[in-house]
Amino acid sequence: MKFKSIELRNIDAGYCDRVVAGGVSLDAQPGEIIALIGPNGSGKSTLLKTITGQIKCLGGEIRICGEELGSMKESEVARRISLVTTARIKPQLMTCREVAGMGRYPYTGRLGLLTPEDERIVEEALVLTDSLDVAGCDFEKISDGQRQRVMIARAICQDTDIIALDEPTSFLDLRCKLSVLRILRMLAREKNKTIIMSLHELDLVKAVADRIVCLDSEGNSVVGVPGDIFYGDFIQNCFGLDAKEFDPETGHLNIIF
Amino acid sequence: MKKREIIAFTIMILMTVLLACWNLTAGSLSLSARDIVSGLLGGFASGTQGVGDTAAAVIFQIRLPRLIAAIFLGGALSVSGFLLQTFFNNPIAGPYVLGISSGAKLTVAVAMIVLLGGGVHISSAGMVVAAFLGSLLAMGFVLAISTRVNSMSVLIVCGILVGYICSAVTDFLVTFADDTNIVNLHNWSMGSLSGTDWEGVRVMTILVILAFVAAFCLSKPIGAYQLGEVYAKSMGVNTRLLRLLIILLSSLLSATVTAFAGPVSFVGIAIPQLVKLVMKTARPLVLIPGCFLGGAMVLLLCDGIARSVFAPAEVSISSVTAVFLAPVVIVMMMKRRAN
Repeated sequence: MKFKSIELRNIDAGYCDRVVAGGVSLDAQPGEIIALIGPNGSGKSTLLKTITGQIKCLGGEIRICGEELGSMKESEVARRISLVTTARIKPQLMTCREVAGMGRYPYTGRLGLLTPEDERIVEEALVLTDSLDVAGCDFEKISDGQRQRVMIARAICQDTDIIALDEPTSFLDLRCKLSVLRILRMLAREKNKTIIMSLHELDLVKAVADRIVCLDSEGNSVVGVPGDIFYGDFIQNCFGLDAKEFDPETGHLNIIF
Repeated sequence: MKKREIIAFTIMILMTVLLACWNLTAGSLSLSARDIVSGLLGGFASGTQGVGDTAAAVIFQIRLPRLIAAIFLGGALSVSGFLLQTFFNNPIAGPYVLGISSGAKLTVAVAMIVLLGGGVHISSAGMVVAAFLGSLLAMGFVLAISTRVNSMSVLIVCGILVGYICSAVTDFLVTFADDTNIVNLHNWSMGSLSGTDWEGVRVMTILVILAFVAAFCLSKPIGAYQLGEVYAKSMGVNTRLLRLLIILLSSLLSATVTAFAGPVSFVGIAIPQLVKLVMKTARPLVLIPGCFLGGAMVLLLCDGIARSVFAPAEVSISSVTAVFLAPVVIVMMMKRRAN
């Protein structure tokens, strides 16, 4: 049997007993890129928060690297899953290197000082994400694209099996979108990490995802490979579009006025 | 540590020592260096009791405890402000503007009036307990508001209003209290370090050192918390516990200050910002001791000015801190708007 980094058994995700996305089942292996798609409000972020232990799972079972999420300590979860959110952080006066270095949190001692080994890992993460040139800059003074790469560097520093990202390409220009996706693909293929992320751009999903979790606004979910999801009028139904408005071959919208 | 941080620490320590010396010499009774040294030596040799001549008594019974109070209470206020700023993830936060100091002031006034009225002597520790309860009450109120409003400015306005209500009630109580003991309360409620005795110094140093060490031990999770609650949690920080500890520590620190010196304005809000600017870092491991030193330094300066500029009359310490530090806060707010 293959090692599974994420196992979801019929889980319900939501807030305060109100299920937003229900009955999601998934097995994810190391090296796999999983994309969560669906219209706004379909529960992509909620599902990600549930898988990463930020909010309570309302039903079903989540296993992270074989262990049940509910029974893991916060510090154990932190060594298994790292997170990149859409929240804009305001770490006053922190340099990009310090923000990335914060990812070493689960491994540092009582005072949180970085050892030379930690420094080496941070350096490597900055190189991998092409952020070395901004390493010494104030985090609040760099561009959105650079910021996203530094946040990914931070997640790499956390040295986890799984990296979860909420809309990592939103607000970025085309070149930055591509660079972020290249980094994520490299992390999956070369570092054998499981990448699970929500994405809005379906053309990017088609290009990068190994498997897709598709949520609709009624709270249903379908898991499939891109070939199954991008077929016929499945996407159009899920997003509430007319059949002609979307081309499953390319993942592009046909804009009809 | 970086070079810049080491230089900043060295300068702050030197300044604190220099200001401490100035505080020993300054005042309505002018004393020579020899008087001071012999007063100090005499005091330490004979213990807190039985200091002979006036000069020695002034040094050992009045100026020295007052100077120690300025150091520890200034440090406490500044660290309390730093913790609150971290908690709200906003530089415009402090125990005074959020109404926490005024809450403490109100309960201390009530405790003094009730207990003194009943003929019971209230100890320094008792004052701190009363102040701590008051600051927790005010803090609870501010937190309850903060779950309903998103805007920090609304929260600050609410805090200031709470401060006004508490001050008004305190003034009301003070005005109608007839006991002569209570008349002293008026002085205290304006903010002053005068009348600090050795018993008070003992209680405040123990409390402030304990709270400071606890805050310093939280440097690591506080650093993670600077990236926001979600990231802190994802790195394994028990954010619920951390938030609770931050609230308790900052309330305890500002309550200690209020119990002994009354409400002191703007130190908690402005000093952490100034220290951050000087040190150019946000690392709590450096900033927490830095804020303590900065607060100690500034309160020594302000207390020295409060009691020497119009000597023998004394100005309330809040007036001095407000004159120096309120403009700093205004500049900070303008800079934030500009960004």
